[in-house]
Amino acid sequence: MQSVSLDLAGSRRSHPLFARLEALGIPGNKTEHYRRFAVKPLLNAAYDLVEVHGEHAAESGAVLRIENGEVVEVPAGVSVSFADPFEADENHFDALYFLTHLAAPKVICIEIGRDADIEIVHRFEREKALLPYRLCVTVAPGVKAKVFESFETAGSTSSLMLYGIDARIETEATLRWVRDQNGSASECAVIGSHRYDVAARGALELKTFDFGSAKALHLYKIDLDEYAWCDAEHLLLASHDARRGNVVQINHNRPYAKSAQNARNILKDEATGIFDGLIRVGHDARYTSAHQNSKAILLGEHAFMYAKPQLEIYTDELEASHGSTTGELDEDALFYLRSRGIEHDEAQKMLVLAFANALIDTAGDDNIVERIRTDFEAAYFEHA
Amino acid sequence: MMDIRNIHAKIGDNNILKGLDLTLEKGKVHVIMGPNGAGKSTLSKTIVGHYDVDVLEGEILYKGKNILELPPEERALEGIFLSFQNPVEVPGVNNAYFLRTALNAKERHEGKPETNAAQFLRLMRERAERLGMKPDMISRNLNEGFSGGEKKRNEILQMEILEPDVIILDEIDSGLDIDALKAVSEGINRMKNGERTFLVITHYSRILDYIGPDYIHVLQDGRIVKTGGPELVEVLEAQGYSAIEKDR
Repeated sequence: MQSVSLDLAGSRRSHPLFARLEALGIPGNKTEHYRRFAVKPLLNAAYDLVEVHGEHAAESGAVLRIENGEVVEVPAGVSVSFADPFEADENHFDALYFLTHLAAPKVICIEIGRDADIEIVHRFEREKALLPYRLCVTVAPGVKAKVFESFETAGSTSSLMLYGIDARIETEATLRWVRDQNGSASECAVIGSHRYDVAARGALELKTFDFGSAKALHLYKIDLDEYAWCDAEHLLLASHDARRGNVVQINHNRPYAKSAQNARNILKDEATGIFDGLIRVGHDARYTSAHQNSKAILLGEHAFMYAKPQLEIYTDELEASHGSTTGELDEDALFYLRSRGIEHDEAQKMLVLAFANALIDTAGDDNIVERIRTDFEAAYFEHA
Repeated sequence: MMDIRNIHAKIGDNNILKGLDLTLEKGKVHVIMGPNGAGKSTLSKTIVGHYDVDVLEGEILYKGKNILELPPEERALEGIFLSFQNPVEVPGVNNAYFLRTALNAKERHEGKPETNAAQFLRLMRERAERLGMKPDMISRNLNEGFSGGEKKRNEILQMEILEPDVIILDEIDSGLDIDALKAVSEGINRMKNGERTFLVITHYSRILDYIGPDYIHVLQDGRIVKTGGPELVEVLEAQGYSAIEKDR
């Protein structure tokens, strides 16, 4: 049995990343980026460590399927390889980013050399197990790629998935990354620690849909080069006593970079939502545009939203804004619907869906929108 | 049809309705007029169960029940409809989806088969066109970005599709141009069938020229102080509220 500790680095203690990990330390409840997530009991629990073998032959299929950390299916036309130790970002703010790099025996690497539409399915079904693994995605210059990522975690009770993405979007390339994660309290907790590196004139559209009553936290470091662009949207629905959220750091490193971040959070029952967003505009990042907004609706009397939108600006010539609102559903709108004979719960659902649809409707093609909407409704009615 | 008895109600710390009595007769058009702050909108909110209003005393008897005990949606399902003075904008809720949901709720309540999507769209298009509404207002979000006149027409559209029994129109004529006032008035007149009851709250006589009221009630300081026929409007317009001889 194993808890989440420095021991997970195993024989890689001499790797430069270990020094960064050691300096940051294993996160605790007072670690800034894990505040309100109650990470300590999650990391201190005893798990069976899943042995991931890394490199092996996978069958050809329709999706990139990763079962218990192993690639078992690769879609035609997609190049997947296994890298030993991946060149990580030494400036990442999250200790678990380094830990997962050190703990994963191989990094699953996807090279996208032409316009592509890829679906990644993560399957994890072991009980009381700890699964660390990482993926790396490279989008070649000028290429337009779409990735739809989903999770199948039935049966993973009391388990912890520690994973992450390193994506490099080359010059004038575009990556649309849609994550649809829907987990109930009987499924594993997930901590994802990611890094997206957007080269000059590249674009990242990050759309995350995070629903359910399980614990989940995603931490992102996004770096923007000259004229690079990032549009990040996060829809979160947490219920029961779940703690779920996003910690996002977007760095404008060079001039003319643009970012827009929009988080919508719906908290039911006794759930806690987390939005800790930092947009950092560096000394050299003149003429950039940075906008950030978080809205939260509290549906439960004991629901809680921890919203921390931040701008850190080191140049004078830019356009920037940020804001955050947390409240209940619009009482006038709710009354208006009820005054036409629509019962309270139905009216509430209509308003919540309307709030969510602003992001769901832009998720992609009709099929993806419908899948996400179905997942949203399933999570909304869980424990209803 | 509806008996409003000795209603005392407040909003926040302000006592607004102070023993209001009013009987609405079946098939008649009742008009409430009164100075600003008299309690006209509070009366309409009280009847439909608005959360702002705290009823301290009294009862509203309708179909053998005191409706003050019912939540707003049940009052609506029993046939009470309020056209709001300032209809709220609801981003993200499609106008047609909303109205079909409301119609289906009413049909379920009455034990009737539910109108399906295709039937409903035909019905809504036909009714909207008759009211002079732009076709795209059906597919737009509920009242979002609508002009004042468009919102009022949308209220009348809802009224015509839901076919309620008691219709309260709170300043339906405010902010309407001549064409819109005519269209809205025609919508109201189409609903008059000798069975439905109307309670029209207004400051102006113009709409009354179109819809032909049966009774004029003057509401002052939280009570109905005078009731008369249509001729009372002329007296009010000529002499103002302070000059009228109170009944009680």
